[in-house]
Amino acid sequence: MEFAQDQVGDVAIVKLAGRLDSSTAQPAEASFTQMLGSGTPRLAVDLSRLEYISSAGLRVLLVVAKKVQQAKGKMVLFGLVPNVREVFSVSGFDKIFAIQSDADAAVASVR
Amino acid sequence: MLGFVEEILLLQLDDSQGKFVNLPMSAADVVLAGAALMELALANRVDSDLEQLILVDPSPTGDDILDDVLKHLAEGGDLTADGVLEQISVNGEKYQEMALQRLIAKGVLREENGRFLWVFRTRRYPVVDDSEQREVRARLRQLLLTDEIPDPRDVVLICLIGACGLLGLVLSPEEIARTTTRVEQLGRLDLIGQAVTKAVAKIRFIVANASSAIY
Repeated sequence: MEFAQDQVGDVAIVKLAGRLDSSTAQPAEASFTQMLGSGTPRLAVDLSRLEYISSAGLRVLLVVAKKVQQAKGKMVLFGLVPNVREVFSVSGFDKIFAIQSDADAAVASVR
Repeated sequence: MLGFVEEILLLQLDDSQGKFVNLPMSAADVVLAGAALMELALANRVDSDLEQLILVDPSPTGDDILDDVLKHLAEGGDLTADGVLEQISVNGEKYQEMALQRLIAKGVLREENGRFLWVFRTRRYPVVDDSEQREVRARLRQLLLTDEIPDPRDVVLICLIGACGLLGLVLSPEEIARTTTRVEQLGRLDLIGQAVTKAVAKIRFIVANASSAIY
């Protein structure tokens, strides 16, 4: 799995690519934690190149979302491919996370 | 910290009587099996997606209940969440006894043997130290009554108490009515938890229909 970070103004954009599952969950969580640091995070997560997500991957996003909430920040996901969107829908994660269709809408929603 | 099997067993105990709340035996077994599976998932030993369970690491954990489940998973067979739950829930009674002995050894419960009608042997498990129960109930209550994002351990506990019909332990009847959507939403967040909820609902349905057929 690839974890890349970009910055648009005060919004951090994290791009996840490949598979987010039990073998990649721990390094992904560590990367998010390192990135969040202190302050009030504004985070947009690009999932357009994420091909697969398992329960372990969903838990990483849940843990990150909780940290962002505790820091009174904002987090949004965007670009979900159909099979990832299906996992979000069946598991109800689409009701927990703010989800936007593209980067512009995502960045605007957390500003 | 207690594991999910111990935690849900403890929550099923009626404080005042030291007896388990009324749950069909096979449903209680599914709940314990699900608790063990979800503990393994959070320990990154098992993963799941919409189609299957994946055994990630079969090496022993040192926990005899979890290792028994791992051993079963390593034997292969039906690795869907529904299938695995059905198979390992046959050990539910054994896991219950193991977890009870652990709780007694940790000083959380004590065992009392008695007689009912001077003939039938009975066992009760009065709670000695209820600090864990109180802490868990307070945390779940806070989660259910607010928009707070749960952590993965709390998601599992909400799935389990929802499946057992134990929401009344943490919420008043009025609060239960008010938080139906929230409970349903949080209970779905764990895919194994969804399978537990479905399996328990199926058992309750069968039991209810069997009873109505008798009367």
